[in-house]
Amino acid sequence: MDVLSARPTRRSLLSGAVGAVTLIAAPSILRAQTKELVVGGAAGHKPWVEQVVVPAFEKKYNCKVLFEGTRSLVNLEKMQKNKGKQYMSVVQMDDPVMILAVKEDLLDPLTPGKAPNLSQLVPGSTHMEGMWANYLQPWLGVAYSKGAMKTPPSSWADLFDAKYKGRIIIPSLQNTEGLPVLFAAGMLTGGTLEAIQKDTDAGFKKLASLKPNLLTIYTQQPQAYNLLEQGEAYMIGPAMSSYALERKAAGAPIDLVAPKEGVFAMPSGIAVIKGAPQAELAFAYVNELLGAELQEKLAGPTFSLATNKAVPRPAGLGADVTIHQIDWANVAAQRNDWIKRWDREMAI
Amino acid sequence: MSATRRFDPILLLAAPAVAYLTVVYGLPLLFLLGRSLLGAGGFSAFAGFFADPFSWTVLGNTVRSAALVTLVCLVIGYPTALVLARASGFVQAAILVAIILPLSVGVVVKAFAWQIVLRRDGVVSQIFTGLGIWDEPQRLLFTETGLVIGAANIFVPFMILPIYSVLKLVDPRLGEAAATLGASPVYRFFKVAIPLSLPGIITGIAFVFSMAASMYVIPSLVIGDRFQTLATLTGRSFLFMRNEQLGSTTAVVLLALTIGIVVASSRLSRRLGGAA
Repeated sequence: MDVLSARPTRRSLLSGAVGAVTLIAAPSILRAQTKELVVGGAAGHKPWVEQVVVPAFEKKYNCKVLFEGTRSLVNLEKMQKNKGKQYMSVVQMDDPVMILAVKEDLLDPLTPGKAPNLSQLVPGSTHMEGMWANYLQPWLGVAYSKGAMKTPPSSWADLFDAKYKGRIIIPSLQNTEGLPVLFAAGMLTGGTLEAIQKDTDAGFKKLASLKPNLLTIYTQQPQAYNLLEQGEAYMIGPAMSSYALERKAAGAPIDLVAPKEGVFAMPSGIAVIKGAPQAELAFAYVNELLGAELQEKLAGPTFSLATNKAVPRPAGLGADVTIHQIDWANVAAQRNDWIKRWDREMAI
Repeated sequence: MSATRRFDPILLLAAPAVAYLTVVYGLPLLFLLGRSLLGAGGFSAFAGFFADPFSWTVLGNTVRSAALVTLVCLVIGYPTALVLARASGFVQAAILVAIILPLSVGVVVKAFAWQIVLRRDGVVSQIFTGLGIWDEPQRLLFTETGLVIGAANIFVPFMILPIYSVLKLVDPRLGEAAATLGASPVYRFFKVAIPLSLPGIITGIAFVFSMAASMYVIPSLVIGDRFQTLATLTGRSFLFMRNEQLGSTTAVVLLALTIGIVVASSRLSRRLGGAA
């Protein structure tokens, strides 16, 4: 995900070179002089973390931040293996994986005392008694091909329209962005968001009627967008703003709309690891990412919603659009059963 | 096997390979088998797996698609191997390069290429509508037919090469001898060429079937989430459902399936080889 240009600045090159030389010459000196904070996160976050967050934080707190970009489940594994002797202090992961980390007692709860910006967040941004918080939320709407569709879709129900036979792509339930397809289908049958999340039966039954329209169910996001951009697919739903709008900005003939029933917020969580080295610095890092100043800089290039109340909504998402928050603890409890039913009922 | 039971020091040459495979393949396999049996109640994981009708659908998907891929590879591969064995010099080198070079192109790249070819406005659809075989453009992408076509393309060298290596050892004068005795070309093909090349055919079938039964990347890209095979279900169980017992169980079933095919085919080829 090339959100920001990856061009190295002269400063980063210089400091990198100096750092490398110092490391070779006397590694212990470097460690003794500056405090080091290791942050684990998604590989796709690397550009904006290293170009926006890290320089600002290092300057303000006179320390060194190392960002390890990988997958959420790999971060979880690192935390499990190093329990009691953690080397990472902060972790940025998807909410479903955060729940697993809470179950394994790997996180240190956030409090307004340790991270004051916690009290500035929109409701629903902290989870499981402050175990983690959402700093940015990509939103999920319907992406469509501008070449294939003269009028943009306006409702989740458009995916079900019989005239789009074989032209619709949805994400697999194994992808985090795929889960809301079940809730969107449930909402179309009526019922509150809370009810249709707890009991997905109506959603599954509605989804079965989508089968003739399905071109495919994707697990690889780039493949799905490839088909949309080439006009083989007409719509992808749910589609992630952080991906769809980035493709649009790159010139792809697609756009993303917010359906009238509302959009879903995707989870991007941040937490402090239990027994973290440099715990104070770790909470300061989380606090900065929850602050308006950094979120304002990041919301644009990552095409995401900020969770700090002071930051306005991004362009393209009107003030009247409902943003649904997903109950991730409920998802974690039921997801495997949903995947089982999905495999049986959505098969070709 | 040799008649004497005395230890042959030559066997020691296999020691590095045996040691390597024991560590990186044998032991993990034992762990996997252990995983599938341990946990809740020993064999109950397998009993549960086979009691579920969906498992049979998955098993059916795996065997059917692998069998079709193998059949397509055989039908396309055998004549190619025949030509390759008869050719010589530049032509043979050119054919060999044409078969082996595509192996250096990654599976992901090939699967993406097939995605373009099999689309509604893809080459296949254009040819068939152009010839009047199809009334209107159709999509093969994300269908089982598309999967078989795409996978056969990737695995066909593994059918051609074993058959070729057997065919090139067959004395071409045997066919001529049969012809002098009045055998028609069709008779010669089925009664002389095919039986002589059977060991190669069987090896090719074993290669292609076991690879096609365990393919993971190709189905994920060419047919997607809606067609689960043992391999994709294993991946999903480990990576996303974090259900190690189910993952180990499906992996062991897949392993048993492919070992069965390989053992049966080597038995068959030994028996036929002995008869020939």
